[in-house]
Amino acid sequence: MNLRLPLRRYALHGLHAFALIVACLVVIIPLGFLALNSVKLEREFLTIPPTIFPSQITFEHYQRAFGDPKTVRFFTNSLIVAGTTTAVSIVCGMLAAYGLARLGLPAWGLSFVVFIFLFIRFYPRITTVIPYFLLMRQFDLLDTVWAIILGHLGITIPFVTWLMLVLFNDLPPELEEAGMLDGCNPWQRLWHIVLPVTAPGVASAAILIAFLSWNEFLIAASIARRQAVVLSIVVAGFVTDKGIYWGPMSAMSVVMIAPMLIFALFVQRYLIRGLMLGAVKG
Amino acid sequence: MERTASIASQRHSRRRLRLSHDWAWLLAFVIPAFLVVVVVQFYPLAYSLFLSVQDWTLTKSQQPEGFVGLTNFTKVLGDSVFRRAVRNSLYISGGAVGVELFLGISLAYLTLGSRWSMRVVRTILILPMVIAPVAAGTMWRMLLNSRAGLFNYLLNFVGIQGPKWLASPDWALVAVILLDIWQWTPFVLVVVAAGAAGIPDELLESAAIDGASRWQAFQKVELPLLTPVLLLTAMFRLLESLLSLDSVYSLTFGGPGYATYTLTFFIYTLGLQNFNFGRAAAASWLFMAVAAGVIALVFWLHRRSDIS
Amino acid sequence: MRSERNNAVRVVTDDLRQGRITRRQFMGRMVAAGVGLSAINAILAACAAVEAPADPSAVSTGSQDAAAEAPSLAGSEITATYMQSGTYDVAAETLKPTFESDTGITVNLVAAPFTVLVQRNITDLTTQTGEFDVMSLSLWEASAFQHLQPLDDLVARDGFGEDYIPALWAPGGSVFYGGQRVGVPYSADAYGVLYRSDLFEEAGVTADWETWDDLLAVAETLKGKLPDNVAPIVFSFGAPEQSTAIFYGAYPGTYVTAENTWAVERDLGAKALEVVQRVADYGPSDALALSIDEANAVFLQGKAAMIICWPSFIRAAADNPEQSAVVGKWQMGSFPGPGFIFLSAWNLAISKYSKNIEAAWEWIKAYTNPQNGKDFMTTYGIGSPFASTYEDAELLQMHSHDFPQQKANLNRTKGVALTFAAFEIQFRNMGEMMTGALTPTEVIERWHEGWAELTVPQALIELAEAQGQKAS
Repeated sequence: MNLRLPLRRYALHGLHAFALIVACLVVIIPLGFLALNSVKLEREFLTIPPTIFPSQITFEHYQRAFGDPKTVRFFTNSLIVAGTTTAVSIVCGMLAAYGLARLGLPAWGLSFVVFIFLFIRFYPRITTVIPYFLLMRQFDLLDTVWAIILGHLGITIPFVTWLMLVLFNDLPPELEEAGMLDGCNPWQRLWHIVLPVTAPGVASAAILIAFLSWNEFLIAASIARRQAVVLSIVVAGFVTDKGIYWGPMSAMSVVMIAPMLIFALFVQRYLIRGLMLGAVKG
Repeated sequence: MERTASIASQRHSRRRLRLSHDWAWLLAFVIPAFLVVVVVQFYPLAYSLFLSVQDWTLTKSQQPEGFVGLTNFTKVLGDSVFRRAVRNSLYISGGAVGVELFLGISLAYLTLGSRWSMRVVRTILILPMVIAPVAAGTMWRMLLNSRAGLFNYLLNFVGIQGPKWLASPDWALVAVILLDIWQWTPFVLVVVAAGAAGIPDELLESAAIDGASRWQAFQKVELPLLTPVLLLTAMFRLLESLLSLDSVYSLTFGGPGYATYTLTFFIYTLGLQNFNFGRAAAASWLFMAVAAGVIALVFWLHRRSDIS
Repeated sequence: MRSERNNAVRVVTDDLRQGRITRRQFMGRMVAAGVGLSAINAILAACAAVEAPADPSAVSTGSQDAAAEAPSLAGSEITATYMQSGTYDVAAETLKPTFESDTGITVNLVAAPFTVLVQRNITDLTTQTGEFDVMSLSLWEASAFQHLQPLDDLVARDGFGEDYIPALWAPGGSVFYGGQRVGVPYSADAYGVLYRSDLFEEAGVTADWETWDDLLAVAETLKGKLPDNVAPIVFSFGAPEQSTAIFYGAYPGTYVTAENTWAVERDLGAKALEVVQRVADYGPSDALALSIDEANAVFLQGKAAMIICWPSFIRAAADNPEQSAVVGKWQMGSFPGPGFIFLSAWNLAISKYSKNIEAAWEWIKAYTNPQNGKDFMTTYGIGSPFASTYEDAELLQMHSHDFPQQKANLNRTKGVALTFAAFEIQFRNMGEMMTGALTPTEVIERWHEGWAELTVPQALIELAEAQGQKAS
C-alpha cells in the first residue's frame, strides 16, 4: 500500500501535466500556424503535404498591409472604438447600476429591468442594423467612429449595468451607512467607498467589453465607409467573390489579434480576480 | 459576475438604506445609460417589432406596405429552410455548450492555484476568446482544409485518416461545433476559475476532515455553490452561440448545401441579403421568444438554487 | 452645392445650344441636376432663340464654353465604391491623383468586402441616401436598378462604348433598366476550361468539345491514361455557389416563365444537373471539398488535366514559374454548351440621387477605357471588357494560349437573371445534391418551391427576355 501511493501520485501528476500540455497545444498550434502563414510565400499555401515551416521568411504580406497608409488609420480607429466604448460603457453602466441598486425599486421592478437588459443584449443585431443605419443617417453620423461607438454602447451598457448591479447589490449596507453618516453624497459614496471595493469587478467587465468592441463586425460594417473603417472589416475584405487571399489575410489577422493577445496576457489576472467578486457566496 | 437573478430575492433579507433624499443624484446616474439604450436599442427594437407585422421588402418599396397580421410569422414557421436552420442551430449550440461546460470546468480545476506554471497555462488557455470570430473562422478553414490542412496532416501522424471536413454535411457540422468549443471554452474556464477561487478554503477543509475524497468534496460542496454561476454561464454561452454569425460565415458559409445553415444565417440572409425586413423581423422575434424563455427559465432555476 | 448645380445647368444648356442633345434629353438631365420644372421652362425659353444657330458667332461662343467644360466641374466632389480586393480598389487609388489634378474633381474611394459592398449599394439606392455617386455593381443589385441614372444620353454624347466586346456591351455584360443602359462594364471574366496541352497530347485527346458530353468523354479517356495522382478534371465544388456555372453551361432552356416567375424546364434542368454530378466523378478524391483557391492550386501543382475556373483568378499564377508547375503546358479550351457561359462583370453606375452626375461620369470615363482595360489586366489581373486588349500584339505574344479563346468565350457569355435569394435557393439545393441528399429531380422541386415565394425584379425580367432566357 505505502509503496503504491507515491507511484499513483506520480502517475496522476503525469496525467495532469499531459492534459494541460495537450490543451495548450490545441490553443497554440492554430495560432502558430496562422503566424507562420503570414510570413509564407504565396506558392507555399495549399501544398501537399502542408508547408508548416516556410522555406523562406517573407514580409511581403505585412509590407502590403502597412505599405498602405490607410492601415495605420484603420488600426487607430479600432483603438479609438474599443477604448472609447470601454471607457464610456464602464462609466455609464456603473453609474446606472449604482443608481438602480440604491433607488429602492421593488424586487419585481429590478428583476424586470435586468430581464429587459438581457433581452436587449441578446436581440439579433442583424435585424436592427438597418434601422440603426437609417437613424445614424438622420443624425448625419454615417462613416464616423462615433456612430460605431454608439452602436457598441447599445450592447455594452446593458451588459455592464447588469454585471455591476450584481456586485453593488452584494455589498453589505453597513459599508455605506458610515459614509452616509459623514454626509457623503451618492457620488462620493460611489467614488470613495464602493468603487475601491469593486474595482477588480470593474476591471474584468472592462476587459470583456474591450474584446467585444475590438472584434465586432456587423455594426461597424454597416456604418463605416471610408474614414471609420476598423480592422475587423479589413480582415473580412480578403475574402473576395473569387476566392481568399490567404497571405495578406493571415498577416492582417495577426495585426488584428496581436494587440488583444498582448492585452490579454497583461490583464488576465484581473479578469479572474474581478469575476471572483460576487460569483459565489461563501 | 453571473448572479443577477438573485438580486430580487436578496433584497428581502437586507435592510433597505434610507436614501430618499438622494433620489435626484441616483436618477441622474441612471439617465445617461438610459438615454443611450433608448436611442440605440429601443428605437430599432420597437421598429423591428412594428416591422414584424408589416409587409416590407426594401428593394420593392421604400416604405412598409401595410399591416399583414401574423403572415410573416406563419410564412417563416412554414418555411422548410427555417426548420432546418433551427435544427442545425440546436445541434451546434447544444453540442458546443455542453462540451464547453465540461471542458471549462475540468480545465479550471486542472489549473487551480496561483503557482506561476498554472498562471502561464491559464493565460495561454484563455487566448482563443480574444480572437475576432471572422479571423478564427478563416483560420480554422485553413486548418481543416481536406487537402493541405494541418489538422488532417497531424491526424495522419497518429494513424488516423481525417474526414473531408467541410465537404461532408455531418463533419461540417462537427467543424462548426469544434470552432465554437475552441473559441469559447476559455470563457467557461475563466468564470469557473473565478468561482472556484471564491470558495472559502474552510469549507473544503471541513469536508476533508469529514473524510470526503477530493471528488466527493467537489460534488457535495463546490458544485452546489457553483451551480448558480454555471447556470448563467450556460445561458450566456447558449444564446451567444445561437447568435454567432461571423465564424460560421467564414468557416462554412452555411454549407455544404444547408448543412450548417443556422438560424442566424437564415435571419441574416432574409434581412441583409434579400432585404425582406418584415420576415427578418418576424424571425428575430421568434428567436427572442425562445431566448426570453431561456432567460426566464434560468432566472427561475437560479432563484431556486439560491434559496436551497 | 448651389454652384455645382449651376455648373451642371450651364454644361447641359451648352449641350442643348450646340444641338448635342435633344430637348427631351435636356429636360431629363435638368431634372436629374435638381432643377425645378419652371426653371427648366425658363431656360428653354431663353435658349429658343439660339436653338437653330443662324449666327456663326453663337456657335463659336458655344464651343468656347465647351472648352471650359472640364474646369467647370472643378471643386466638385464625388464618392465611388469598389470591391475591397486589392485589385479594383487599388487600380482606382492609383488613378485618383492624376484624375484629381486633371479635372479638379475630388474623388473619395470607398472599398468594401464583396457582401458588404452589395448590401451598402442596395441600402444607399433604395433609401435614396445618395452618398455614393459612382457605384461598382453587378446583377446582384438588380432589384435596385430603378434607382440608377440612365446613361444612354451621356454615352451617346461622348461617343463612349467603342471597343467593347459586343456581348459585354449588351444586357447581361452591361446593366440595363427600363430599356436604358444604367451601367458600363469595367471588368469581365467568363467561366473557362484550361487544359494541359502536354497531358492531352500524351493521352491522344484533343480539346475540340462542343458539349459537356464531349468534354466528359475526353475526361473518360484521360481517366484511363493519366497517372493515379492526376485527376482528369478539377473544379471548386467546395465553393457552394460555383457549381451553378456548370449547370448553366449545360442548360439550354429558359428559367423565367411567361408569368414572370422563376422556373426551369424540368427535363432539361435534370439533365444539366446530372452533368454537374458527372463532372465531380472525374475530380480528385476530395473533389467536393475544394474551394476556388484549392482547385486552382491542384491545377497549378500539375495534379489535374483540366480545370473549370475563373481564368482571371489563375492566369497570372499559372504563367509564373514561382507559383506554377504548368508554365507553358496549358491552354484555354472552349467552354462547352449547349448552355451559356457564366459571366462575372462589374459595372460602374451612377446613382439617381447623385448631386454630381457629370463629375461622376467623368470618373467613369477615366476609369473605364481601353487603355486602362489593358493596363489593369496586366498589372492587377482584372479581366478587360475591351476587344483591343485581347488583340494587342504585345500581349498576344505572351498569351496566345489563352487570349483568343478568352475573347471568344466572353462574347458567348450571359448574365444570370437571379437575385441572391433565388440564387441561394439554387446553389444550396445543388449542394444538397452533391452530398447525396437530393436527386436532380428533387432539386428542381425544391427550387420551384422556394422560387414560388419570390418576385422577379423588373430589371431581371428584361434581362432574361433580352438574353432569350424567358419563356414566351
